[in-house]
Parts: sequence; structure tokens; C-alpha cells
Amino acid sequence: MTTSSSTTAPPRSSPDRTFALSKRLFAYNPWLFAFNLLMWGMVHAAPALLTLAVSSVFGRLEEADKLRLAGQPIDPVVAAAWVSVGWFALVRVSRFGIFYGAFRAWIELWYTLDALVRRNLLGYLLTAKGSRRLPDTPAEAVSRFRDDVEDVAGYTEVWVDGAGFVVYCVLAIALMARVDPVITGLVCAPLLLMVVFVQRLSPRIRTYRRRMREATARVTDFIGETFGAVSAVKLAAREPQMVAHLAALGEVRRHSALRDVLLTELIRGVNTNMVNLAVGLVLLLGANRVRGGQMDVADFVLFIGLLPRLTGSMGFFGDAIARHRRTGVSYDRMERLLQDAPQGTVVAHHPVYLHGEAPAQVATPQAEPLEELRVEGLTAHHPSGAGVADVSFTLRRGEFVVVTGRIGSGKTTLLRALLGLMPQDSIDGKGGRIFWNGTEVTDPASFFVPPRSAYTAQLPSLFSDTLRENVLSGSDPARLNRAVRLAVLEPDLAQLSAGLDTPVGARGVKLSGGQVQRTAVARMLAAGADLLVFDDVSSALDARTEALLWDGLFRETDATCLVVSHRRAALTRADRILLIEDGRLTGEGTLEELLERSAEMRALWAEDVGESA
Amino acid sequence: MPDAASSPSSSGPPARSQTGRVLRDYLGPLKWQVVALAVLLLTGTGLNLLLPQLLRRFVDNAKLGGGADVGLLARLAGFYILLAVGVQLLTAGATYVGARVGWTATNRLRADLMRHLLSLDMREHKERTPGEMIERIDGDVTALSNFFSQFAVRVFGAALLLTGAVVMFYLTDWRVGVGITFFVLVTLVAMNQVRKKGVEPTRLERESSAKLFGYVEERLAGLDDVRSLGAGEHHLRGFLRVQREFFQRSTFSWRRRSVVWQLSMALFAIGYVGVLGAAVGLYAAGAISLGTAFLLYQYMNMVEEPIDQLTQQLQDLQKAGASLGRVGELLALRSELQEGTRELPRGPLDLRFENVSFSYAPEDPTVRGVLHDVSFHLPAGQTVGLLGRTGSGKTTLTRLVSRLYDPTTGSVRLGGLDTRDVRLDQLRSRVAVVTQDVQLFQASVRDNLSFFDKSVTDAEVEAALHEVGLGTWLSRLEQGVRTPLPTGSLSAGQAQLLAFARVLLRDPAVIILDEPSSRLDPATEAQLTQAMTRLLTGRTAIVIAHRLDTVARADRILVLGDGQVLEDGPRAALARDPRSHYAELLRAGTLAEEGVLA
Repeated sequence: MTTSSSTTAPPRSSPDRTFALSKRLFAYNPWLFAFNLLMWGMVHAAPALLTLAVSSVFGRLEEADKLRLAGQPIDPVVAAAWVSVGWFALVRVSRFGIFYGAFRAWIELWYTLDALVRRNLLGYLLTAKGSRRLPDTPAEAVSRFRDDVEDVAGYTEVWVDGAGFVVYCVLAIALMARVDPVITGLVCAPLLLMVVFVQRLSPRIRTYRRRMREATARVTDFIGETFGAVSAVKLAAREPQMVAHLAALGEVRRHSALRDVLLTELIRGVNTNMVNLAVGLVLLLGANRVRGGQMDVADFVLFIGLLPRLTGSMGFFGDAIARHRRTGVSYDRMERLLQDAPQGTVVAHHPVYLHGEAPAQVATPQAEPLEELRVEGLTAHHPSGAGVADVSFTLRRGEFVVVTGRIGSGKTTLLRALLGLMPQDSIDGKGGRIFWNGTEVTDPASFFVPPRSAYTAQLPSLFSDTLRENVLSGSDPARLNRAVRLAVLEPDLAQLSAGLDTPVGARGVKLSGGQVQRTAVARMLAAGADLLVFDDVSSALDARTEALLWDGLFRETDATCLVVSHRRAALTRADRILLIEDGRLTGEGTLEELLERSAEMRALWAEDVGESA
Repeated sequence: MPDAASSPSSSGPPARSQTGRVLRDYLGPLKWQVVALAVLLLTGTGLNLLLPQLLRRFVDNAKLGGGADVGLLARLAGFYILLAVGVQLLTAGATYVGARVGWTATNRLRADLMRHLLSLDMREHKERTPGEMIERIDGDVTALSNFFSQFAVRVFGAALLLTGAVVMFYLTDWRVGVGITFFVLVTLVAMNQVRKKGVEPTRLERESSAKLFGYVEERLAGLDDVRSLGAGEHHLRGFLRVQREFFQRSTFSWRRRSVVWQLSMALFAIGYVGVLGAAVGLYAAGAISLGTAFLLYQYMNMVEEPIDQLTQQLQDLQKAGASLGRVGELLALRSELQEGTRELPRGPLDLRFENVSFSYAPEDPTVRGVLHDVSFHLPAGQTVGLLGRTGSGKTTLTRLVSRLYDPTTGSVRLGGLDTRDVRLDQLRSRVAVVTQDVQLFQASVRDNLSFFDKSVTDAEVEAALHEVGLGTWLSRLEQGVRTPLPTGSLSAGQAQLLAFARVLLRDPAVIILDEPSSRLDPATEAQLTQAMTRLLTGRTAIVIAHRLDTVARADRILVLGDGQVLEDGPRAALARDPRSHYAELLRAGTLAEEGVLA
């Protein structure tokens, strides 16, 4: 269940999969999708009708020209021309109305699908079973949420617009073929090259864009780093060298920018030139037919009017193929972020509540109170090789157990593997086993949550919200005050201007390290769990505060505590101590027993002397 | 507009002259490219306006049907193709030259801005975050780059084409010309008005988008906290709320922006119907030929695109104007530190503080000064251990030596010279400072050690690394000193050693060292002590000490308390005097417990 999917999944971006996933996505709101198809079909097809009207205007005028040469009255033909102008006006105006509706429908569809995919990504990461580890940094993962989601939702455009363009192309080619199928064929054949051309160049444009973005990022990162370290730079008197390096980075960026500009211009140029070449070709081929009377001015106007959009459509189709491929890659990247998610997770249908508040949360399930937690042969390793092996111990209700050891000995790994925050190793399908009141826990990640257990990390994360919201995080507000008091957060509240309503800033930057830690402890206490797991809260608490924290917990709760610490404040209060050395449990017992038995314990005890109160 | 409002009121006329100077300074050297750009644009636009003329001749010939001159028609068609290709080449050329001018000019502007900002004193830097610096050096300047490249080509080109097309209308028929002029003016004004309505919703949209991705980033960074507290559903609901706001603002801002397109569609519907109507009417009246009627319709196409471009770019133009103003303001800032002219003597230097007082805000009497009447002398080549509680002024004292700040009163003398009289670059290259937090760059090991100085050889960098005991570490790096520095994997001890290596590369006369206070593992500790001993030998040094064994190696001891010298003297003498602070510390056996050092 919790095995790590460290083996990179084979590339699954087969075209069929992109179709299947996108189909599922479009089906989220089928009526809206269908409405979009209809409206955009009309928006894109309308120009063909406009050209037809213009062509008929000039056709009438041409007739009038002939009548005028023959000396006959031209009024009825001119009247007919006015009728055509009227048609033209009508199509223009109705297209305006259609566009209005089409645009609103499109924005609604686009942002709804955008929201759905994003909700699915975050929902899986936050709530799915098993342990979650981001494949890269959070910042990198955010670009999945932004760029890849945009690619996937934006791909809808290919279908919505594509349908319209197909209608237009069919109409335009039919109209032209009615005039002269040979010329139509000769003109349209090279246009197909546009599809190939754009489709070939699209990935390259993206490469250039990416390089340009990377070059820009290097420039901005360098500026940021330079001014972040401005005193170091000034103290080293290396300003000229830093400026020279910026100039060098700027030069690289200039080159990639110019390449990007050139290629974009090339594509634009080919696009317009294809139109002009096609127009020229029609003129050239048509010149012969004019004498025979097979082609007249109205026909030329028709061709000249229809060709630009036809060429544009070809460019669009070329780009559409490239976008289809890109969407496949985006799906790949999102699946890599979700790791073990079943296929289709990102496009699964869930309510996204874009027009109203989500219904209230369902109550947390009742849990069996902890009597005994037994760990057998727990083994877990980081990819780097560090970790813990074959650790077994038992925790009983109300006990205060301290895990201690040197930096890097594996204390944190032990806690994280126990709680399912990182996967345990499984050798031949056999790994460590965890029993809660004698029943085996199959998915620790979803099991070790409130009301069973709660956890405070060594470097806890807070969120940019008020202190109150950070402490509660969805817990029962009735538990707030006691949690704040027990976490020794009250003296801090007195200092903060807005008390519990103080915004803590992004990741809690507005609080001191100790305040962040105490807020996290309060958050854990507010969750009202049976088992409290502390990972080295002492690193940001002074010895006195730590003593207050433990005493409060002993006095007012009967919680079972599993605590990583090297502080005397914790060690002296421990019912039992688990001593970890190099990833193995080498000692277990009371402080006196261990001090007597273990040289390592004596060394750790001696080291803490400077800090004890 | 909001940009202009938020800038300080002092940026009136002087800012404008600054603007002119910035443009002259950076476009001047590129004048030939600018001229080439203008030529390309003018020629391209001219040829573009010729194309419909060819179509008119073709139509007027073709309508003759059987009597048409096929040879002429074919020639016209061929000429049309040739001209079209020519126009495209010229436009592409203009875009390229424009971008080139823009990037060349703004890259130089960026470098100059960075040089200028780095030369400002630390008071200025304390006011600004690195993020703001990025915005000022790159954000504003990139807006300018768009101004040079896009504005020149797009706006100038569009304006030329629009003017040309309107003139062509006049040449064809003055009545249509008047009508079109009126139409163009109304459209430009109307679209520009409407476009402004989209600015504020767009800003709000950006804001809520930043909030949305900020929310996601924070939850992903705190994934363990969220999951172990079983708060996934809670945060997902929070996310849906933030996303709902994003959805509403985005769709609203899109609807607002789409008004521009809708307006343009409506106006051009009127325009096209008008031109088509005029063509039919004039033809019926016998005023124009069939080809000319078609010509009118074709020129209308040439009005549509530039108007679109113009209204789009006018916003950017305003932005570029504001950026230019800000750049000018920045360039007008001056450092408060006066540059000296004298050279420091060669060899080891002695250091003397004479009645030095210092306040970070001397102009504000309510702010208590940090140093009060500090005097002491440190003979050349000796090490002084600097002791004192947090906030006693230890770090500030060292900042005065390297002239990050100047004393408010009194003077700091190095090698007998007042530091204010010495050339700043020389002073800083002779005084090295190693702080506790070592600032590293995402760059190769050698660039980190040499601060991107190309004149430092790899061999010198390697030698420095071996000297501080990072030889084995270096040997494990795949590309030696050219390996990108793996910042995350460096221990605090290794970072300190790298900082020592940085100093060794420069061979300074004076070293200021803030000893690392955090506990390191014994092996690193020993390495650090060894490297430190080597570093300090033969140099004048101030060590902000956090451990007794470091102080034990110092020649002198200086104890600071609340910005004043509590004790200053040779270590051995102080150790013998039972009433000295230092002797008291020695008896206590530890610095930390006594609380003399935080």
C-alpha cells in the first residue's frame, strides 16, 4: 500500500489517453461544452457568409458595369447590390450578438474545468491514502498547478475553436470549388503545408520560450541573490565582478530573446505570405480564365476574401496537433506529481463550488481510544540511505516516552515512518508492522490522524492566516483556549497587537521561531488527539518554557506522548527512553537505567549541560 | 495612472528631464540601428499600401472579361506576390532590429542600475527587499525594453499604416476620407476609454491568482502538517473558497476586457457597412470604377489591424513612462558614504578607534545610539577577542571598520589613516569580514568563492579550499571547482569553511570574524579551529567569540557593555587580575551559562 513509486512510471502519454482524459473532462459539464461548440461554430463560420455577401455586392456591381457599357439602366442591379449590403450588415450584427454569448460561455467553461483539475490535484495530495512525498520542491509543484492545469483546461479551446474552423473550412472550400475546383485544389494543397509547418515549429517555439524564461529567471535570481547578500558583496569589494556577471547573463538572455522573436516572426511571416501567395496564385491562374468568362470579379473577391482565414485555420490545426501533444505531457507531469493515483484522478468529477459555499464538513469518525500501540520491526530509509532499521517498541496509554539520539541518528525518520509520512521499506512484501490496540494498521498515513494521533514537526509549517485559524485548522473551537494555554502561547498573545487575530504572515514569518513552534503545539493540542507526537520542539523553546509545556500536559491531560528530544527537561520526565544510534534502537529504559548501561546515553546527557536551566 | 499617483511628488519636472537623459544615454550609441529601424518601417508600410492598388488594376482589367489583357493580369499577379514577400521581409527585419535595440539598450541600463544600486550605502539597502530590487532592475527595465522594441515597431508601424490608409482614402475620394477620419478618431478614443475599464479588474485578478497559488504552495510545503493533523478536508475547503474568488474575479475581468473586442466588433461592423455602402453609392453615381470600389473595401482591412494594435500598446506606453520615471529616480540617488582617495600602507595594519560614537539614525534624537565614546587600539598582527551580550554593539563596531557605516562622531584609523580618507574599494579588499550566516549563490564553487571574478584561477580556488581543509570535500565534486554549489547539502560547518576560503583568496590585512555559535559535530569543530588559526596568523583580527577556547588564543580581550568599553587589555594580564570580567568568565568555566554571550 505505502510502497514508494520511486521507479519512474513509464511514459503513458499515448494519444488515446489524452483523448480519453479530455473526453472525461469535457463531460464534466456536457451542456456547457455543447453550447460552446454551437456558439463558436457560428462565430467562426460567419466570416464565410460575410465574404459571400461582399462577393455578391461586387458581382452585382460587375453586372451593372456591363449594363452601363451596353447603355442600359443599372438601377435594378444596384438595388440588388444594396440588398447584398443589407445581408452583410445583418450577418455582422448577429455575429456580434453570438460572440457576446459565445465568449461568456467559453470563459465559464474554461475556468470551471481549470478549477476542477486544480481541485483534483490538491484534493488527492491532501486527502488520499498512503504517504505523500512531492517529487520536487513545492514551488515546482505549484507550476504543475498553474502551467499544466492551464494547458489541460486550455486544450478545450482546441476542440471548441477547432469545430468552428472545420465548419468554416468546409464551407469555404465548397464555395470556392463551386467557382473553380481546379484552382481551389491548386491553392489549397500548399495550404496543407501550413499544418505541417506550424506543427513542426510549435515545439521549437516553446523551447525558445522556455530558454528565454530560464535566461530571465537566471537574471532575476542573480539580482535577488546579489541584493540578498549585498553586505557580503560590498564587504568583499566585488561590485564590478557582480555587474560583469549580470551583463554576461543579460547577453545570454538577449540572444535567446532575439531567437524567440525571429522564429515567431518567421511563423507569422509564413502565415501572411501563404495568404498573399495564395491570392497571387489565384490571380495568376484566374487571369487565363477571365478571358473565357469562367471567372469574374465576384469570384476573385470571393477567393481573396476566403483565403486569409483558410490559411489561418491551417495554422491553427498545425498548432492544435502540437497542443494535443503538449497536453499529454501536462497529464504526465500531473500524474508524476500525484504518483500512485489511479488514472483519471485529475479529471474525476467532483463539485467545485464556484457559485456557493461548500456544505459543512462531515463529522470526524469516532475512534477507539488508545490502550496500546505496538511497533514491530519498523524499517524505513531515505533515498540517500539514511534511516532506521528494525525498530520495535510498545507504547501504553498515558505514557511519556522520549526518543533520543544524536543528530542524524534517525529519530525523525522513526516518527515519520510510524505516522506514514514517509513510506516504510518493504522487503519481499514484508515490512514493519504497527498494531493499535492489537489491530494491525494497514495505512498509517490515513490512520494516524486526530482523534487518534496528532504530530508537531521539527520545523512546523504555518499558513498565512490568523493565529486563531492556524491553531484551529478545522478543530473544535471549544478546545482553543486550553490548547493555547497548554502550549504556553499566552505570554506571546499578550505581546501581539491583535492577539489571536494576528495574521502570522506567509509560513508564519511574522512570528519568532519559538512562537511558530508553540503555535504548532497549540494546533496539535486543539486537535484533541489521544497520542501526541512531538518532534524536537526544544530546538526553538528555551528549557524553562519546555518544562512548563510538559508540566501542563501532565497536569491537565492523560494523553500518551511520544517525544523526540535531547533536553534534560524531557529526559528527566520520561517514563521510558528509546535510545537510537545509527538508525537502530540500542537502548530502552528509564533514564537511570540507561545512564548506567549506555555510554552513548551518558555522552548525550553530558552534552546538554550548557543548556539546562 | 496609479503608478504616477503613487510615486513621490518630487518626481515632477526633474523626473521628466531624467527620462530624457535616460533615453538619450541609452539610445544614442545605437543611433544607426534606430535609423535602420525607421527606414525598414517606412519602406514596409509604403509597400504594404501599394498592394490594394495592384488589386484595383487587376479588377479593372479583369472585369473586361474577354477583352482583358492576360499578359498584364499575369504580370500584376506576379508583382503582387513579389511585393507581398517584400513587405513581410521588411516587417520581420524591423521587428528584429527593434528587439535588438531594445535588448541591447536595456541590458546596459540594467548593468548600470545594478552598479549604481550596489554603490549606495547600507542605509538605502535596509529599506529595500531583494524582491523590490528585482522589480526595479528587471521589472521596470523590461517594461522599457518592450517600449523600445514593441512600441517602435508596433505603435509607430501601426500609426504609419493607419495614416497611410487614411491618406489613401482621401486620394481615392475625399468624402470617404473625411468619413474614415471621423470613424478612426471615434474608434481610437472609445476603445482606449473602454480598455481602461479592464485595468482594475485585471489587477484584482492578478492579486487573487497570487493568493490562490500562494495558498497551494503553502499547503504543499506543509503537506506533512496538514496530513498528520487530518486537516486535508479542511484545507481543501479553504482552497475551494480561495479558488471561488479567483474564478469570480477572473471571469469578471475577462468579461470586462472582452468589452473592448465587442466594442471593436460593433464599431467595425458599422465601419465596414459604411465603406461598402459608400462603394456601392459612389459607383452607382458613376464617381468611381469597380476596381476603386474594391480598393476602398481592401483599405478598410488596413484600418482595422493598426487600430487594434494602437489601443493595445497605448497602455504599455503609459506603463513604460512610469517605469522610465522610476529608473530616473533611482539613478538620482546618491550614497552618503564619501569616497576617499588615499592608499593604505602595505603590510600588516594596526587598528585604532578614537572616541567613536554611532547611531543608526543620527538625525532622530529619540533613537538611542549603539556605540558611545569607544576608544581602543589593536596593534598590527594581533587578535582581539570581542565579548559582550547580544545588543552590546559588537557587530556594529565591526561594521565601522569595513565602512558599511561611518561613525557619527570620532574616527576609525587603520594603519594610521582615517578610514574615511581611504579609497573604499581598497579598504574593503584589505579588510575581510566573515559573518555567521554565509551568503552563497546558486553558482559554481569557484564563482561562489571569487564572487564571479574571472581573473581568479581554478588553481587558486583549489588551493584555498585545501588550505581550509575542504580538500576531501572538493575531491568528491564531479567537476571540481566548476561544480554548481549544492547549497542545500552543505552543513553549517562546511559553509563556514567556504567563507574562510573566500577570505584566503583575497589575502587581507585585517580579518573580522563572527565565530559560529551553533554547536557543530566534533570533527567539523576541530577542522574549523584549525582553519581559523591558519587564517588569523600574521593578520590583525577582531573575533566576536562565542567559546572560551577561542578567546584563549587571542592576544587581547575587549568587553563591550551597552555600547561602551567595559574592559580592554592584554589577555594574559586580564586573566591574572581577579577583579576583571574576563577572569570572572574563566572561573565560571563557560561563556553561555554566565550569559555574557547569548
